[in-house]
Amino acid sequence: MTDFLETTIDKFTFRVDPACLYSGDDIWVRLEGGRAKLGMSDILQQRSGDIAFVDVKPAGTVLAFNEEFASIETVKVNVALISPVSGEVVGVNPALKLTPEVINQDPFGEGWLCEVALSDWDANRLLLLDAAAYLEKMKHDVSEAGKS
Amino acid sequence: MTDMSGKVAIVPCSGIGKTFGTVSRVAAYQVTEDDRPKKTRLVSLAMLVMGDPESKSTLAESPAITIDGCAMACATKMVGQCGGRIAREFAVLDVFRRYHDFKPQGIADLNESGEKLADALAKEIDIEIDNLTSHEEGGHHA
Repeated sequence: MTDFLETTIDKFTFRVDPACLYSGDDIWVRLEGGRAKLGMSDILQQRSGDIAFVDVKPAGTVLAFNEEFASIETVKVNVALISPVSGEVVGVNPALKLTPEVINQDPFGEGWLCEVALSDWDANRLLLLDAAAYLEKMKHDVSEAGKS
Repeated sequence: MTDMSGKVAIVPCSGIGKTFGTVSRVAAYQVTEDDRPKKTRLVSLAMLVMGDPESKSTLAESPAITIDGCAMACATKMVGQCGGRIAREFAVLDVFRRYHDFKPQGIADLNESGEKLADALAKEIDIEIDNLTSHEEGGHHA
C-alpha cells in the first residue's frame, strides 16, 4: 500500500504518490522498466471533476515534449493534457474506454493514461519535480487560487 | 415488485448549484409530473436527510429509483441508509456518456442540450418504471 504525501485544504485532501515525478501541468510520470507511465495528478482530477470522456493518443504516436497527449471531458471542463516527456506511445490504458471514472477513483494506479518509450529522458527529467517539491507547489497553487 | 399503492419512489440528487444535479431533478420532475404521475412518488433528498417521516414512509412502502448527480451518489446512499429498497440506480454521468451530444450547462436553468439530456434520462427511467409496475400488474393477474 502506497504511503502518499498529502495535504488537506478546506474539505479536500490532495494526495501525491512519492514514487512519481511531476510536471508543472499536474501530470505524473512513473518510470517502469525503461518506459514511463503518465497520468493525471490527484489535484488535477479532483479539480476537473467527474470524467465523462477521455481521449488518449493511440499507440504508435510519437510525442514531442510539451505536446498534447490526451484530453478529458468532465462535468465541468474540457482539459488538454500536456506530455512532460518525449517518445513513442506504446500503450494506452484499456480501462479508460469503458470506465474513465478510474481516473477519479485511482489516479495513480488503475487510472494511468498511457505508457511511453522515452526518447530524451535525461533532458525531460530535469524539468520534473519530485514528490516533495510537487507537494509544495500544489500547496502554493491552492493558496494562490484561494486569494483570487 | 411494487407495494400496495403500486407506486415507485423517485429520489433525485439534491445538488443545488450543480449542473448534473439539476439534470437529475429536471428528469425526476418530468417522470413524476408528466410521464408517469400515477405510478411514481417524488421524494426530496433534502427532506430525507432531515428525517421527514412522510419521505421515510414512502421509502418503506415503495421501491426506489435513485438518480445521482455525481460519484458521491448521495441519493443512493441516503435511500440505503434509510432502509429503502433500491430497484435501480441511475447516474447522470452514465447517461451523459450515452448521449455525448447533449452537453448540459446551466444551473438554475439548463441549456437546450441539458434539457435534452434530462429528457433522455427521464425516458430511461420511464422504461424502468414500466418494467417494475408491469411485474406488479402481472402478479395481480396471476
